Amino acid sequence: MHRLLIVDDEESIVFAMTRYFKARGFAVDAAREMEEAQALLVNYQYAAVIVDLRLTGVHGAEGLDIIDHIRQRCPATRTVLLTAYGSPELEAEAKARGVDAVLRKPQALPDLAQLVLSLVEEAE
Amino acid sequence: MSLLARLLEPEALSLVFQPVFEAADDGGGHAVHSFEALTRGPVGTNAFAPNVLFEYARRKGHEATLDRICLENLLRAMTLLPGRVRCSFNVHASTLQRDAGFAAHVLERAHTHGLEPSRLTIEIVEHAPDWSGRGFLRALGQLRDGGMRIALDDIGLGQSNYRMILDCRPDYFKIDRYVVQGCPTDTGRQAIIDSLVVLARKFGARVVAEGIESRAELTAVRLLGVDLLQGFLLSAPLPATDCSALLSPAPGR
Repeated sequence: MHRLLIVDDEESIVFAMTRYFKARGFAVDAAREMEEAQALLVNYQYAAVIVDLRLTGVHGAEGLDIIDHIRQRCPATRTVLLTAYGSPELEAEAKARGVDAVLRKPQALPDLAQLVLSLVEEAE
Repeated sequence: MSLLARLLEPEALSLVFQPVFEAADDGGGHAVHSFEALTRGPVGTNAFAPNVLFEYARRKGHEATLDRICLENLLRAMTLLPGRVRCSFNVHASTLQRDAGFAAHVLERAHTHGLEPSRLTIEIVEHAPDWSGRGFLRALGQLRDGGMRIALDDIGLGQSNYRMILDCRPDYFKIDRYVVQGCPTDTGRQAIIDSLVVLARKFGARVVAEGIESRAELTAVRLLGVDLLQGFLLSAPLPATDCSALLSPAPGR
């Protein structure tokens, strides 16, 4: 069973994603803030992490900080960055920091699940 | 409400006690030596798991706050335990280093609750690399002078290294489950346990094997000279109200 971490501060998105991915056989954890995500990443191994660019916090782009953390500590983990503020510059920066895919919000869950599954299977 | 706000609410954290048993069996089974207090985060959150709870608190810069809450919970719960049973509790080395009033606070709170500090063992844990300093050593001295004992947790892993042994001069060496589990068939693990037992003897300390889950592990660590045993084979962590049933007439060293 693949273990998935969802990092987003919007409760309704976390709820919907968690239910969707669990129904498709993933083990799912969810974090609402950067430090909570990092505490989970230190303790558990994830096949993939879906992270929102902006979480409640002071930086405005905590999602990229989480990506940095993952690249340094868990290089095998696949990453998907979700953002409502997409731009070619942001996408380029995210890719440069090692993100596997950048998607605009809102994203249809079947498409997201397809992408996550292909990234995870590719890594195996 | 953020996770941090939930953690800091009254009654958010719960406490269970895992017994530590004497390795020597006088024919009547292994006597209880002490109980280790283990904190759990709010049910239904990621922080229910203690490793996530403390890592999260550390990243939020609230390790010392959490350590103080855990201490208060422990002292309150100890009033439910019978007799003069001894308890240990985990404190981050970084808390002792950075929270200059922590050691005095522990002793003052123990006094307020009517508990002799000699019934308390402080288990030093640390996962961050920047623990060491004069504040840490001063706090350890204060706690020891106050009558408390010192245990070093997770020996051989992370920051629980030779330097930490030299600085802490622990009364108890706690060998992590990573070393204990699988030791009956792994000569490498046996060699590490054997060397830690020899080292502990030279420091006048006792050795605790954590994470014992099989009869074979229990037998192996006893043969290697471990003094004290802890693990699910002997007992899972218990609520304070269930601890009395395990106690023999004279718990303790």
